[in-house]
Amino acid sequence: MDKGMLIQELQTLIIQSLKLEDVMPADIDPAAPLFGSGLGLDSIDALELVVALEKKYGIRIPDEDVGKEAFASVDALAGYVLKNVT
Amino acid sequence: MSVRVALVTGGTKGIGKEIARSFSQQGMRVYMNFASDTTAAAAASGEIRAETFQADVSDQNQVSAMIDAIAQKEGRLDILVNNAGIIRDGLLMLMSLENWRRVMEVNLDSVYFCAKAALRPMVGSHWGRIVNIISPSALMGRAGQTNYAAAKGGVLSLTRSLAREVARYGITVNAVSPGVIATELTSGMEERLRREFLAMIPAGRFGTPEEVARAVSFLCSDEAGYITGEYFSVDGGLT
Repeated sequence: MDKGMLIQELQTLIIQSLKLEDVMPADIDPAAPLFGSGLGLDSIDALELVVALEKKYGIRIPDEDVGKEAFASVDALAGYVLKNVT
Repeated sequence: MSVRVALVTGGTKGIGKEIARSFSQQGMRVYMNFASDTTAAAAASGEIRAETFQADVSDQNQVSAMIDAIAQKEGRLDILVNNAGIIRDGLLMLMSLENWRRVMEVNLDSVYFCAKAALRPMVGSHWGRIVNIISPSALMGRAGQTNYAAAKGGVLSLTRSLAREVARYGITVNAVSPGVIATELTSGMEERLRREFLAMIPAGRFGTPEEVARAVSFLCSDEAGYITGEYFSVDGGLT
């Protein structure tokens, strides 16, 4: 899977699973932290995203240590998905 | 009356240190337990006329050894304040078993270990005071603190049940629930979180460790002998 494509896919997935209104995929900076920043998402929103990612890519985000690494940014998330996708 | 002997777990920092100071100022023989921070322990023993005692309260052998040593040296142990605690915050869906267990061990198992060992000298002398420090998280819940809230809620239920077991021996068992208290812990708090907390507190300010120590001191006094199985909130109206 191409990382650039995956980043676009993740931007869309984030918007859909978290039902973000008035946000376009390109508005989500791949390098910016996903939570606690511009998008106004908090850590409880992350749970929804965990479930969506696990369902779509068959990966596991078992605990907060992994979660912190995976959700550092969309770019980091793409890296995490690529490394763990089954 | 002979001089009372008190043990405060986690007694060299923050709220525990103020409780120890308050006991010491009342003329008691005071032991300040600490887990690992020898620098803070040295500083506390420089400030307060009290002994320090290193022991991991989540380890039953270390707790027994500590309390036996105190009871043997002093010939008694009258007051136990279970103040030591840790937090490992995180949302339950992503909480590691390690963070769940460690919070249970340090906050809940420790109360069982300390009370079990301390009750022997108290039952023997037909006088005792146990005060367990709990938290608003136990009373109202807090997202991100399921482990801590469960442990502290367990401590509150233990408090009520143990109070019934030992009331006949002149021993009272109560809990004190400090709200947001200004300590080293809260001074490093982010500004956003600080404002969020202040907005929830009717008193409009954080509490001081001295204010918590006063409530604990009262519950440990002779005057409070008919109060048992209760909890006091010292939280500016938060809960």
